[in-house]
Amino acid sequence: MIPEFAADEVIAVCISRRIQDGDIVVQGLATPLTLAGYILAKLTHAPNVVMASAIGNVATLGWHPLSLSRVEAMWLDKPLRRLDFSEISCELLPTVQPKEFLRPAQVDRHGHFNNVAIGDWSAPALRLPGCGGIADVTPLHRRVFLYVPRHSARVFVEQVDFRSGVGWQSGKERDWYLVSDLGTFDLHQGQIRLKTVHPGVPLEQVREQTGFPLQVAEPLEETHPPSAEELRLLREVIDPLSIRKIEMVGGADRRALLSEIIRREIELQG
Amino acid sequence: MLCRSWMGGSAAIGTETVDKRCSLEQAVAEIAPGSLVGIGGLTLYRRPVAAVREIARAGIGNLTLLGLTLGFEADLLVGAGLARRVRTSYFGLEAFGLAPMFTQAAGDGNLEVVEETEASIVFGLRAAMARVGFMPSRAWAETDLPRVRKDVRTVEDPYTGDVYTAFPAIAPDVAIVHAREADALGNAVLGGNLAVDRELSTASPTVIVTAEKVVETLSAEADILGQMVTFVVPLPRGAQPTSCYPDYPLDAAELLRYVEACRDGKFRQYLKAWLET
Repeated sequence: MIPEFAADEVIAVCISRRIQDGDIVVQGLATPLTLAGYILAKLTHAPNVVMASAIGNVATLGWHPLSLSRVEAMWLDKPLRRLDFSEISCELLPTVQPKEFLRPAQVDRHGHFNNVAIGDWSAPALRLPGCGGIADVTPLHRRVFLYVPRHSARVFVEQVDFRSGVGWQSGKERDWYLVSDLGTFDLHQGQIRLKTVHPGVPLEQVREQTGFPLQVAEPLEETHPPSAEELRLLREVIDPLSIRKIEMVGGADRRALLSEIIRREIELQG
Repeated sequence: MLCRSWMGGSAAIGTETVDKRCSLEQAVAEIAPGSLVGIGGLTLYRRPVAAVREIARAGIGNLTLLGLTLGFEADLLVGAGLARRVRTSYFGLEAFGLAPMFTQAAGDGNLEVVEETEASIVFGLRAAMARVGFMPSRAWAETDLPRVRKDVRTVEDPYTGDVYTAFPAIAPDVAIVHAREADALGNAVLGGNLAVDRELSTASPTVIVTAEKVVETLSAEADILGQMVTFVVPLPRGAQPTSCYPDYPLDAAELLRYVEACRDGKFRQYLKAWLET
């Protein structure tokens, strides 16, 4: 029997399964779901994974349950080595090519993506925070891993308004992978293809919530569901405060969830 | 403006004081309107918030804000109308969402956004430190970044013929860094989360270090050498509501209060109260 799971949990599990033992993985800003996935990999099949982050600026073999107000504990309690950002950008990222899961605001049918602005850049309908280092690493790295917590036609668009992340590259083999709350995707002949649907998600729903005609793998398989043990680790060990769920909601729901997390975190710290 | 004499600043050799301690007001008064101000720390971690608040109190405007990332502190300066331009790879509040005043000002066209990435800032600072005009990099290829940064050119590798992005040097007028600990000479302990604080301090002719405590003898290895530093200001809790690991955590409730105040159209009230704290 498949245990019941939430969308954030199947995403974290899919992220975890892309990690191999001994990998170096990187967490970007405001991406707790990726960290949940990385720690899950560490506690299951990849104990020697080395994690690095835009927060803390260290490489570490250690881990810490997800936190809102004490994010640095994960990184700074037991660093393997301190880094600074010029070392990260100029030396490590071009050389080591760590695995990193990036969250696009828009992604187009060729797997290019946008984290800079919705609408015209010079007069944006919505200015986004910016792309961090995405425009630095995605032209260069062999792998591009993305995740989309809320799959919609606003995210999966015919053409991105601004290309700050590079997907398909003519004549280059890329390991391009995307997991959303509906399924997993790859690039096939330069175009996004639905590879698996998560258990219980109808194919029609994926098509409807995608803003371009979607290629579908033949045969279309179902995503291997989270195991009871993976769910226990996520819920009880890695993220008892449900920090990962912040990424699944926006607006008033996000503020309510933050409020609840703040209350519980203070309670927990006595 | 006081400058490090060995960088060709205004102070004559030998007249520069070795004891760099001063009040926050004295240090911030050295920031000229229109300056390019490098802000240390990262998003919600070890930001020089109290020093930035003093800039707002003094009403120093027309600023260009530079940070590897910018967050709460810069959003308040933008909202207060003191920033004319921002240069950063990420301007936001992480889990707390978009930086409301930045998002509004950028959408309204009231703020000049110089699109940056981690590489453009880091390579730019490295160029400034090396006293060269640019640093070559493979970043930005096949993206829209060059389209909105016409000032960033490419350069041909004289050895291989490859074409690289030539990130121009970035030399801030002043850098502000919050430290866990500093001595009177300006030697400073940052702990972790180094971001580009060392680079900002080396590339800028004027450097303000605010510190949780100013001590006789540092308890750990310094991350920034005193020779890079112009002013040392004792400023306990100087990063709040951002964190200063491990001295205090992020004040998440305060961040949420800020976001909610902005959503309710109460930025002015929030700013007024913040300036009075």
